[in-house]
Amino acid sequence: MGTGELDREAHVAAGTEGNGGTAAPRTLAEALRTRGDEGLAALLRARPDLLVPVPGDLTQLATRAGTRASVVRALERLDRFTLQAAEALAVAPDPAPYRVLLGLMAGDEGDADIEAALPRAVGLLREQALVWGDDERLRLVRTARELLAPSPQHPSPTGLGPTVAEATAGMSPTRLQEIIATAGLSTTHDPVSAVAALTDLFTDRERMGALLDTAPVEALGVLDRLVWGPPYGEVTPDPTPPVRWLRDRGLLLPVTARTVVLPREAALHLRAGRAHRVPEPLAPAVTPSREYRPQVVDSTAAGQAYTALATVEELAKEWNEGGPAVLRAGGMSVRDLKRTATALDVTEQVAAFWLEVAYGAGLIAPDGEADERFAPTPAYDDWLALPAAERWARLAGAWLAATRAPGLVGSQDAKGRTLAALGPDLDRGAAPEVRRRVLTLLAGLPAGASPDPETLLARLRWERPLRGAARETGTDLRARLASWTLTEAELLGVTGRGALSAHGRALLPGAPAPGTDHPVAGHAPGHPRTATGHVPAPTAAEGSASDGRRAARAAVADHAGAAALLAPLMPEPVDHVLLQADLTAVAPGPLRRPLADTLAVLADVESKGGATVYRFTPASVRRALDAGQAAADLHAFLAAHSRTPVPQPLAYLIDDVARRHGHLRVGAASAYVRCDDDAVLGEILADKRSASLRLRRLAPTVLAAQADPAALLEGLRSMGFAPAAESAEGDVLITRAHAYRTPARTAPAPVPEGPPEPDTALLGAAVRAIRAGDLASTVVRKDESATPGGGGDGAPPRTSAAETLATVQAAAMTGSAVWIGYVTAEGAASQRVIAPVRVEGGFVTAYDHTADEVRTYPLHRITGVAELADDVT
Amino acid sequence: MNGPLIVQSDKTLLLEVDHERADACRRAIAPFAELERAPEHIHTYRVTPLGLWNARAAGHDAEQVVDALVEFSRYPVPHALLVDVAETMARYGRLTLSKHPTHGLVLTTTDRPVLEEILRSRKVQPLVGDRIDADTVAVHPSERGQIKQTLLKLGWPAEDLAGYVDGEAHRIDLAEDGWALRPYQQQAVEGFWHGGSGVVVLPCGAGKTLVGAGAMAKAKATTLILVTNTVSARQWKHELVKRTSLTEDEIGEYSGTKKEIRPVTIATYQVLTTRRKGVYPHLELFDSRDWGLIVYDEVHLLPAPVFKFTADLQARRRLGLTATLVREDGRESDVFSLIGPKRFDAPWKEIEAQGYIAPADCVEVRVNLTDAERLAYATAETEEKYRFCATTATKQKVAEALVRKFAGQQILVIGQYIDQLDELGEHLGAPVIKGETPNAQREKLFEAFRQGEISVLVVSKVANFSIDLPEATVAIQVSGTFGSRQEEAQRLGRVLRPKADGHQAHFYSVVARDTIDQDFAAHRQRFLAEQGYAYRIVDADELLAQDADPDLSGA
Repeated sequence: MGTGELDREAHVAAGTEGNGGTAAPRTLAEALRTRGDEGLAALLRARPDLLVPVPGDLTQLATRAGTRASVVRALERLDRFTLQAAEALAVAPDPAPYRVLLGLMAGDEGDADIEAALPRAVGLLREQALVWGDDERLRLVRTARELLAPSPQHPSPTGLGPTVAEATAGMSPTRLQEIIATAGLSTTHDPVSAVAALTDLFTDRERMGALLDTAPVEALGVLDRLVWGPPYGEVTPDPTPPVRWLRDRGLLLPVTARTVVLPREAALHLRAGRAHRVPEPLAPAVTPSREYRPQVVDSTAAGQAYTALATVEELAKEWNEGGPAVLRAGGMSVRDLKRTATALDVTEQVAAFWLEVAYGAGLIAPDGEADERFAPTPAYDDWLALPAAERWARLAGAWLAATRAPGLVGSQDAKGRTLAALGPDLDRGAAPEVRRRVLTLLAGLPAGASPDPETLLARLRWERPLRGAARETGTDLRARLASWTLTEAELLGVTGRGALSAHGRALLPGAPAPGTDHPVAGHAPGHPRTATGHVPAPTAAEGSASDGRRAARAAVADHAGAAALLAPLMPEPVDHVLLQADLTAVAPGPLRRPLADTLAVLADVESKGGATVYRFTPASVRRALDAGQAAADLHAFLAAHSRTPVPQPLAYLIDDVARRHGHLRVGAASAYVRCDDDAVLGEILADKRSASLRLRRLAPTVLAAQADPAALLEGLRSMGFAPAAESAEGDVLITRAHAYRTPARTAPAPVPEGPPEPDTALLGAAVRAIRAGDLASTVVRKDESATPGGGGDGAPPRTSAAETLATVQAAAMTGSAVWIGYVTAEGAASQRVIAPVRVEGGFVTAYDHTADEVRTYPLHRITGVAELADDVT
Repeated sequence: MNGPLIVQSDKTLLLEVDHERADACRRAIAPFAELERAPEHIHTYRVTPLGLWNARAAGHDAEQVVDALVEFSRYPVPHALLVDVAETMARYGRLTLSKHPTHGLVLTTTDRPVLEEILRSRKVQPLVGDRIDADTVAVHPSERGQIKQTLLKLGWPAEDLAGYVDGEAHRIDLAEDGWALRPYQQQAVEGFWHGGSGVVVLPCGAGKTLVGAGAMAKAKATTLILVTNTVSARQWKHELVKRTSLTEDEIGEYSGTKKEIRPVTIATYQVLTTRRKGVYPHLELFDSRDWGLIVYDEVHLLPAPVFKFTADLQARRRLGLTATLVREDGRESDVFSLIGPKRFDAPWKEIEAQGYIAPADCVEVRVNLTDAERLAYATAETEEKYRFCATTATKQKVAEALVRKFAGQQILVIGQYIDQLDELGEHLGAPVIKGETPNAQREKLFEAFRQGEISVLVVSKVANFSIDLPEATVAIQVSGTFGSRQEEAQRLGRVLRPKADGHQAHFYSVVARDTIDQDFAAHRQRFLAEQGYAYRIVDADELLAQDADPDLSGA
């Protein structure tokens, strides 16, 4: 690998090489320069990290595009086939003609699918500036080549070893002679030609075939083990005859004293030319495992959507009196999560999901008090006032865009700490994109079809193969995110029975119509290949990576559509219950809220789901009485909302509890018991269990207690009485649920990975700026001789003050751009391309192409001016 | 979507009974869902693993279950529930018990990891023998019931294909002269016979004995019948002679007094569980003949030693009969795994609607303790409290008032405490039957009651079960065995025999207000309330006021 290659890629090379056409670019920068604005925009869109900061010119852009971090990022975002093409290029000669690459991908026999798919892959690599050069001279950028080429430390995914030339680099000429001779080649004393002869032999299919025909069977077995990699093998100091046979002919070359390697050319021969054992030109299709009627899917999803709302409301209600404490490290304790899970009647994993959804939608948050606790936010109350479908759309929208991954809750981070629900370190940048991609793939299936999750995961793996460490440790975060997405979408009601619902589809603007399985990141196989090898750059909508985030923003605005589709499917709230003699009430559907709230106080919820089953108990009736209802109110309430007559036992229960309710009254401050019935007080006093309350009879109808009122109440209740608490004025204290809220809180902002997706305006501006900078550094001046002292490449022009003034004035009149040398206020020399607008008072007001804005320059700071060869405006 | 069924997330199914498709829905879900509550408007079914496995055993598959749920459901069925149904049902049949020509009873699997999993369980290890091959393991024939029970608890129910022994053949026919099995009895017999073994649940007074006789006529083999007490044994014998081709000589009684073993033998649980010197001498009765059928009457009372022995009888057909399969000890699942799954279940109200049991008016009468009693109650020791409030003097007054109100009808007064009953008997001038009453005396009194010679009978818990008193129309319960649900149901059952004139039965439960008596009563009533019996609650004062005012009293 040439040491100066980076320079060559970035800068104008001094010499010209070989046979390239006159238009053939010699560097990446030059290759970029030949692109249209759209091409540059495509590059910047695909690799937005190049935009931060905006590069000064194309040379800078090319240099930045070749940095290791940026290249790694770009490679990680390639689909499997494109990556395979890049890997093949990394083991091909540099530069490699297109047909060589095709040979490496398709093998000697050829493969129609690969032939059809390869132009797209090369086009994508070109678009992303990972490959440049025309079809005769495809060059992989050097950093990518270093990353992908095989080395003993980093075996290539192709399983190929070093070339003969590389493997024989340190070998003694004598040894080389012996190999040549044994292999049946004419001897030469020049090591370089010896290596070339050996390489020729290995790459010549016929001669190589003949050579291998003479090999002992065991030797072929050794080759078989090495051919698909890893290509390295251990040998003893005294190798077996078959190994020796191979070693003598250079089919195994020594790496160290105990290791040998199968040279790349030989391996390729054995592989019939193929760089990959399994090239995967086609994205694996996502296949449906079952199909349901779309109505079934939609209604199932709507039912689940309703459950989602009910669950979040229940969660907030649970926390109305103040939720669990915030751990010092942030988040919720495992115990609180368990408690929440029990309260919601779900598993902890699912409870964590609901917590995160509510948190992500800004409905719950820490309250920020000294003794910090979680609680519903004011936004929750606003949310609660929305129609059901809109409430759902809020949740689903927040979920889609969230970078927090609830699935991680309960697992351990690298330091062995358990990740807490609502805690830190749950953000995963890839989450929103994976979610959206999964749903988009679902959207590609026929309406009502639920996918085979395995094929879905296979497809995602194809689109984003794992590289490096992730592949070795097997922590495939994207696959986990994807399977979480499937579960979570089902829980939220985005999907029903595994298939994307109509309202779920509406969350994905630009999603494909049902039944159009959508080839990712690009083009259907069989894209026309142009003479120059340029395939049209994939359009924005097809770039899988970018597709996610841009749509995420659009989706926020498009919830209304989803809500509108969902609204008619939501179960209609009912306004009545069925009362039964076994003291249960059944609400045969979701209840209108005021009704549900009252009933929740008056009775205990026994079973939830499409309907709600309530059970009346003395305790629940007492709770309602405690909340300030009178027995008559309760009777009226039940009569008004029951479709059936109120059963006698229920009416009796209410009267019976009411009869005793408040019979005993307990003072808060002075702790007393009073009762009109002095026998009751006598009974209490006589009861041994009242001893701990230390009661004393004050009057026939009043007892005083030493215990505090709460303990007193508890004690009396445990003795079977139903005392009521009483204020100092003698009124009954009413215990009524109130709603605790945090101060106003904003929802956590998503933390996307990498810089934000640039919008069209920014892209346009960036392209213009880069162009201008590039013009400034590379433009050919009209009249070089007229600017003595400014002749050298890149040196700013020097002209006299008068000349400067005249040229600038002329330019202002014609509206043309000029190139100026300029000394900034700090004394630094720079050069700019400006289009003067007016010249007055010793200042030039001009549009600065370099800075992309109108600026004013003092004339005395302009060191020189030159006209441009072409008009840049 | 306007089905009668609402599927809840806790796997209960709510069925709206007034819906036009309610009947079709009930039929569709009955094979796999357990009827849990049947009050007037909405019946509650529960989907349990056991129910799903029983459905599998009866030849239903997950698809049918899911279809039934989806078809009748008003709201979308939660996907998770459907998945769970499919997964649960898929667990059944991975293990099979069968007869191997050379190795005897073997357990085979179609899913090797499952076999490995269960063989690692410490509970399974002592029950199995040698590993025959990778998929098969020998099972000790005596542990057939035990291993089925254990596997059920482990969540991998075994399908039992080992079959039943036919037993010693003995000709038994139903003598259907002028009567016939009622349709639901016929269904129960068919359901049982089709399933091989199992439990039939029918309300009190719905003719469980005839289901037993029907099953015997199907088996046509020697039969062992296990009953709760001697009086019940006599009734069985009487009924069998009347309803089948069997003669007195063919039916033996095996009890404390007689030890006859005949082709059809009726034994009491009590004699079987008599223990001498640490052994149960009478358990060999099970082996004394080659029984082709074993009938367990009142299977909810099955005592623990019989449980254990039943586990060894898995090769014989077993029929369990009960009205109330609720056990306060929570061993319902043992009944299911040892006797067999529930083969037939009829809600009480349904049988009532068909006119086979009398409609009943259930009333809870709340009496107030007097002030002195309240004071005494408050100071009573915890274990004495129930006795204290259950035997309050006010209850006597109420009982007397009720007896006056229903004068002329056949009235049973039922209680727990002998002192209380003796006192009541004295006040009402009625004979008392209690534990110490000799059997002969009991039968005499029962017979006199049946004939109408006595109109009021005071009985202790000895009359809870199996006593056939067709003419009783009013039952007054003054105290009971704490919160026993099945006792309450059985006591109501005493008055449910259909009346000749079709009139209503009355069941009064007298309860002391604001005491644990009231809490126990609420618990006791639960089963009946869930069966749709709505208790009215009246104040004793009201009742006594009516009694005092002759214009309002009586009917």
